[in-house]
Amino acid sequence: MGNFCESETRLLKRWSNFQLPNRFLKIGWAIIIGTFLLMIAKKFVDEPSWVKPLLRNIMILGFLMVSISREKIEDEFVASLRAISYRLAIVIGVLYALVQPYVTYAVELLLDPDSAKVDDGYFQVLLYILLVQILFFNVLKRSYK
Amino acid sequence: MKNRLKVHRAIKDLTQEDLAKLLGVSRQTINSIEKNRYVPSTLLALKLSKVFEVHVNEIFELESGD
Repeated sequence: MGNFCESETRLLKRWSNFQLPNRFLKIGWAIIIGTFLLMIAKKFVDEPSWVKPLLRNIMILGFLMVSISREKIEDEFVASLRAISYRLAIVIGVLYALVQPYVTYAVELLLDPDSAKVDDGYFQVLLYILLVQILFFNVLKRSYK
Repeated sequence: MKNRLKVHRAIKDLTQEDLAKLLGVSRQTINSIEKNRYVPSTLLALKLSKVFEVHVNEIFELESGD
């Protein structure tokens, strides 16, 4: 059991530094801009229902690419800025996702009370992100004992 | 923590860009250290002391609040 945990921790530490090469930064932005333009263009043509979710997912992949691509010079200062930005992103992201459905609900309540409902679609993603963060934090903390 | 990075850089007649290249970091990193906006790791502090050929304590100094 001990060996299993140690190998898992070693794997985690190795993957925690994973980043894409710097060229993926440009590729990521190209994907984001490309999907954004396609989303605008599709408003003027009839398209199957799967196009919109597919474009959204590709756009998210583009953002992920930008997020995990190395800077030209990826040094410890950049790493510290990256850590701060991820921390802020998680906290602000969670708070936004918690508040936003209620704002939408309030607006819908004013405009069309019959169809107003609170959308809790973010629950799974929020819970998953926070559980994974807490799990990894504790695994890493234990590995330095 | 205060530092005398700018002074030592001037003694060695190095620009921020020169020093950054010697250490394999960005110019922004050197600038942030000089302006006390970023505290470098022990590794980078030791590399700086090696470049300037002085002890780390001659570059970085703890302040009363640290």
